[in-house]
Amino acid sequence: MSGRRGWVPWILLGIVVAGLLVWAVWPSGETTDADRARALAHELRCPDCESLSAADSQTSSARAIRRDLKERVAEGQSDATIRRAYVDRYGESILLEPSRSGLGLLVWGLPLLVLLAGGIGLWFSFRRWRPTERLQATDDDEALVRETRSGEPTGE
Amino acid sequence: MKHPARWIASAVAVVLVALAVVLASQIGSDPRKDATKSHLAGKDVPKFRVTTLDGEALTKADLAGKVTIVNFWNTWCIPCRQEAPALQEFYAKHADDPNFVMLGIVRDDTRAAVNRWVSSHGDEWTIAMDQGGSAALAFGTRGQPETFAISPDGLIVGYQFGPSSVSDLEALRAAAAGGTAQ
Repeated sequence: MSGRRGWVPWILLGIVVAGLLVWAVWPSGETTDADRARALAHELRCPDCESLSAADSQTSSARAIRRDLKERVAEGQSDATIRRAYVDRYGESILLEPSRSGLGLLVWGLPLLVLLAGGIGLWFSFRRWRPTERLQATDDDEALVRETRSGEPTGE
Repeated sequence: MKHPARWIASAVAVVLVALAVVLASQIGSDPRKDATKSHLAGKDVPKFRVTTLDGEALTKADLAGKVTIVNFWNTWCIPCRQEAPALQEFYAKHADDPNFVMLGIVRDDTRAAVNRWVSSHGDEWTIAMDQGGSAALAFGTRGQPETFAISPDGLIVGYQFGPSSVSDLEALRAAAAGGTAQ
């Protein structure tokens, strides 16, 4: 694998990965208010539970949050505004996922960094795996083969 | 780049060291600390609407100009029961103050159970039901009992997570009367 042809598998791999990412991230359909409220409820921690989301808990607080989310979405508040309102009231701990700023950025960024480092490592490793050239038989080699096949010494 | 593997290993090592430093700096912090304080301290009382046991609606506007203690509670919570004598003693001292209001907001309980409790314990302060838990949500509560001190100009100036003693309640009232956050 050398020259321009060596890049073809990499380009194909890039296209496949990009295609899969687009497919995974692309919204599957129209998002309704109920979908948005449900998604936000999954992001918020139930305040009087240990590790359940407001969507998964049946406590009165979780039910109140689900009702409040529906009202806020119906009022036209953005997801960011709603998240901010809950953080203002309860602190960052109300979010089940870490925020995408400050220390929380490390949690999101580190796996990507490790993935990138791994990819670069693989790239260098693959570059080392050059196909070894085919050995050419010398005259002496061919003579040795002939001698073996005939059972008679050819020289000396 | 003569030895790419060394560069990669060095980069990974730098990231790991940075991560270790960040994590080490977090060891002293208590993740539950955030859950035992009110993020509304120093802010305006949120809008809320509850219904008293007499069936009257009570809102934020009804507390204006008063030194107010708001206590979230219910009849089945053990810490609330432990706190009840302190609330009785504290309220008895200040019941005659026309500028003082004590409001017990019931979370997650039935009106019948609360009526039984009030008649058997003789609670004289205003008790209101929080239908649907919207007031508890507006105050950012995480359970009960939780107690808030509100100044006459409508600021939340004090907060107690868990059962309050008489001295805790006096400190909350003093903070509300002085309008200073504690």
